[in-house]
Amino acid sequence: MEGDAGWLSVLVAILGGAIRVSTPYLFVSLGETLTEKGGRVNLGLEGVLVMGAMTGYATAVLTGEPWFGVLVAGCAGAMLSLVHGLICSLPRVNDIAVGIALFIFGTGLAFFLGKAFINPSAPRLPSISLGGWSDVPQIRSALEINVLFLVGLALALFIAWGLRNTRWGLVLRTVGDSSEAAEALGYRVNRVRIAGTVAGGFLSGIGGSYLSLYFPGTWNEGLSSGQGLMAVTLVIFARWDPIRCFYASLLFGGATALGPALQTVGITANYYLYGAAPYFLTLGLLIYSSSRQHALAGAPGEVSISR
Amino acid sequence: MKHASSLARISPLAPPEVAITDLTKRFGALTALDAVSLTVRPGTVHALLGENGAGKSTLVKCLMGTYRADGGQIRVDGAEMRLSNPREAQKLGLGMVYQHFTLVPSMSVAENLVLGEEDMPAVIDWPNRRKALREFMDSMPFRLDLDRVVSGLSAGEKQKLEILKQLHLGSRFLILDEPTSVLTPDEADQILGLMRDLAREGRISVVLISHKLREVETYADEVTVLRGGKRVGQGQVSDLGRADMVRMMVGEAPPATERAGAEHVTGAEVLRIDGLSVDNDRGVTAVRDLGLAVRAGEVLGIAGVSGNGQTELVEALAGQRDATGGAITVDGKPFHRTRAEMRDLKIRLLPEDPLRNACVRAMSVAENLSLRSYDEPPFSRWGFWLDRAAIRSHGEELIARFHVKTQGPDALIGTLSGGNVQRTVLARELSEGVRVLIVQNPCFGLDLKAVAEIRSRILAARDDGAAVLLISEDLDEILELSDRIAVMSQGRLVHETPRAAASLQEIGRHMAAH
Amino acid sequence: MTPVAIAQSREAVTINVAAFLLTLALFGVYVTFLGHNPWDVYYVLWLGSFARMISIESTLTNAAPLMLTALCTAIPARAGLLVIGGEGALVVGALAAVLVGVTLGGLPAWLGITLVGLSAAIAGGAWIGAAGALRQRRGVNETISTLLLNYIAIAVMYHLISGPIRDYERVLKTSSWSIPDSLRVGEMPFIDVHWGLGVGVIACLVLYVVMRRTSFGFGVDILGGNQRAAQVAGLPIDRMVILCCFAGGAAAGLAGGFEIMAVHGFASESLAVGFGYAGILVAFLARQNPAAIILMAILLGGITASGGLLQRRFDLPDATTQVLQGILFMIVLASNACYGRIGFLQPKQKAGA
Repeated sequence: MEGDAGWLSVLVAILGGAIRVSTPYLFVSLGETLTEKGGRVNLGLEGVLVMGAMTGYATAVLTGEPWFGVLVAGCAGAMLSLVHGLICSLPRVNDIAVGIALFIFGTGLAFFLGKAFINPSAPRLPSISLGGWSDVPQIRSALEINVLFLVGLALALFIAWGLRNTRWGLVLRTVGDSSEAAEALGYRVNRVRIAGTVAGGFLSGIGGSYLSLYFPGTWNEGLSSGQGLMAVTLVIFARWDPIRCFYASLLFGGATALGPALQTVGITANYYLYGAAPYFLTLGLLIYSSSRQHALAGAPGEVSISR
Repeated sequence: MKHASSLARISPLAPPEVAITDLTKRFGALTALDAVSLTVRPGTVHALLGENGAGKSTLVKCLMGTYRADGGQIRVDGAEMRLSNPREAQKLGLGMVYQHFTLVPSMSVAENLVLGEEDMPAVIDWPNRRKALREFMDSMPFRLDLDRVVSGLSAGEKQKLEILKQLHLGSRFLILDEPTSVLTPDEADQILGLMRDLAREGRISVVLISHKLREVETYADEVTVLRGGKRVGQGQVSDLGRADMVRMMVGEAPPATERAGAEHVTGAEVLRIDGLSVDNDRGVTAVRDLGLAVRAGEVLGIAGVSGNGQTELVEALAGQRDATGGAITVDGKPFHRTRAEMRDLKIRLLPEDPLRNACVRAMSVAENLSLRSYDEPPFSRWGFWLDRAAIRSHGEELIARFHVKTQGPDALIGTLSGGNVQRTVLARELSEGVRVLIVQNPCFGLDLKAVAEIRSRILAARDDGAAVLLISEDLDEILELSDRIAVMSQGRLVHETPRAAASLQEIGRHMAAH
Repeated sequence: MTPVAIAQSREAVTINVAAFLLTLALFGVYVTFLGHNPWDVYYVLWLGSFARMISIESTLTNAAPLMLTALCTAIPARAGLLVIGGEGALVVGALAAVLVGVTLGGLPAWLGITLVGLSAAIAGGAWIGAAGALRQRRGVNETISTLLLNYIAIAVMYHLISGPIRDYERVLKTSSWSIPDSLRVGEMPFIDVHWGLGVGVIACLVLYVVMRRTSFGFGVDILGGNQRAAQVAGLPIDRMVILCCFAGGAAAGLAGGFEIMAVHGFASESLAVGFGYAGILVAFLARQNPAAIILMAILLGGITASGGLLQRRFDLPDATTQVLQGILFMIVLASNACYGRIGFLQPKQKAGA
């Protein structure tokens, strides 16, 4: 019985961890989906995420208002992504390379400007308790759900709907699938792509603020473990579908939570290998789903990494 | 007259009169369009005839607002227009059906129809929208399933959807840019006939861009001929003869292909393909269980409407695509598309779109000329050390021999005209002995002089004993060059006939068979 | 060199110098906003990088691993791939150096060092070569796979140094066993910089000759220029891609080997400090030309070297140099749009052509 309870608590810890850890994954993958639906890849969302974490935290420290921090984080992310969008609009510029540059620049800028905010503590974002029905403390803590998680879920549904049913969605998909068709229809391809990239950056910035304002809920240089870089692979995993982004984020969150969850029952061996579970998972899936002969299913026609 | 009533609904207004006066467009030093004037009267089909590079596309792009003209006027129903965007042209009822399809591949027919709408609402009410689209489809002489995804449509269906899209948008002035290049002869007649009928009823005006005289003669009322950016002729089609139009297009008597050695000898079987199957980009079988054999000194021409597996077949022969089954042999030896085999068995290729398929843009003409031989002496010493001077002088020699017009061997290949790029590739592939020559659409987009020269070179290779496999979408080219003709449809060879016994009707029927 | 080639290199040099000056100007604006005199900052940048022998040595020490990790992006890039796995290949090379090094204590130094270097190179080469093979055989995008391999390499390193090969006697820092002292590489003659620099320069020059002067390099240029044309020419593309990936990965692995043999002596988190990512920047600055990498690595090494001095003089955070690198990278990428557009830099056209 002892063993059963142990494994149960591991499962609960993974579930709780999945919900806690998945939110930034969800926001960056939705952001990257918007970017790639317009035909560009933004590998710099890692820099955007860290910048969002820093500005969100700093704003919350200075104003005492964490939600204002979330907003500022989104705007900071949008600004950084605007740089990406503008540079990529120039001819013969490789969007993936610009992403790497933005990654270096964004994290550098965040560490630079955020140096002063490593020590002060910021008010945290509130959460909603959905575990009141249970007497088990682990379940209660696992079901402490942050509002941003629910906002992310709603956003996933909204984006999935919007891509099919709104003018904006159709135009974004047109530009991402065939710039030739978009030009013939009279749309400004670069403008639409920049808009998609900026919207994606806004969401990713918010994802960053979740890291610093809720979980782990602090600001330091080791805050992100590459969630922003993983966005690109998550989107491939989710086949450019916002709803699947939600499931994929939960899965990746759960995989990330595997090591800590096992630690709670005293299994500490191979901690770092469990931590790399999302990367192994993605690589395996990529190998499985890629093909020499044809592009990845569901990929927008203008996206460069689908082959 | 089923369409008369329905078209009243799509186009409540009469088509506009479009008058172009002294339109001029320059790109840097090049004058692409030099004071061209023409008037399209409402309810007529006006053909725009000319060779590639004559300025036809530039003219209609100025008309549609894609380019801004440097001089001249465009009047629509008497009012002068300054258009800067295709959407503005759309508002005036001007619509263009492009040569390359401008549909969104991942979207459904319904989504593509809604996309171009001028008043596309912020939020689309799909149930109502679909009801309206279904009514629109029912009123059309041809229709498509609203839920089909464009990437799954055939070339003919895509062309129909482009036209449906324009009619749905209420365009009363349609520009058709080489509309029949991807259609079977029957489909072409059907679509052009429909356009002419709509014009006769006074519902639309049509500008038909073409270089096919037969189409112009059959379907157009008036014609304007362009050459080198200038208007060189204009008038009623009924007043002009075919010879007049050719003379205007070319400016001199049309060059003829030299059919040297018409009495050539056909030898033993050289190239043989058995049971070849190839998938396309989407993982769907494009070439299925295809078999053929070509003899030495023979041209086997494969006709067919574009998109029936020809490109995949050539890509498989070129090593650009893996075959999923089957075998290719040359002189009885298996051919795996390796460099050594290409060299030893003397297999040479002229793929379509040579800049994309057979040249390196970032390299010079001389370097591009060495792609087959750079790793052999004298270009490689001791098997690895590159002699760039030898590559350059070899390039100079081939440039002279094949009359490639270039600033020199060091000029980047991308700076050459289409005809000279093709001459460069020809020089590379044909300069040494050829056993097997695989050719796809070799004259696409070239002027008549280059066409004649390139066709002569291909025939000369045949006369020297090469087995030539010619895959072309241009039926005239197939008829002119082939000794034997086969038709490719849906990935299979469906019909084969010696040139002497070939009938256009029979070939057309097999091309259209689905 | 042909006149066209001369014009092309003149264009590249001019545009890169302009990009660098623009970067310095933007960086000056940035530090002015933060309340510093930009001219003072420029002076300290110069002082910390090239002004004195000691700063030059520090610059070159920083440049050594960058040359090798830049090759990891540049060589596959010539074949048309965008590999960003230098960080992971460096870590894997370093781990191989430790694992092989601890078993080779008894060998003569020259043999042991050669073997350790070789195993580091082979490990890094196999790491990136695998990404190349996955691309050719399975169509797996090499940018994504090498990015994932970075994280996997670093996770494997943490796993190994926190357990299987941990040196429990070193308490302050989690680290691996140390390689024997006999395998440590010293400094080069005449200059206080370890041998990694010499090996880096030699690797760049050798690969430059291979890429520019041999038929293999010419074939790679065909492949990188247009894969479809390379296929029509029947080139052995799979083998060429995997070989280029292997060569690039081997260079980065060698960088890891020298981090062990010349710098740290053991594996720890200090291996994954961004040499791989900075190497990508160096490769793009050099426009994937191995010889130009030498200069660009020294330039970037100078920026890194002056970081400490900037920190002390102006109390600027250590991320300052990263900000500077980021700005430089973005401007260099944007400057790609200028090629072929600036009139006086173009090759002379013959009249009437």
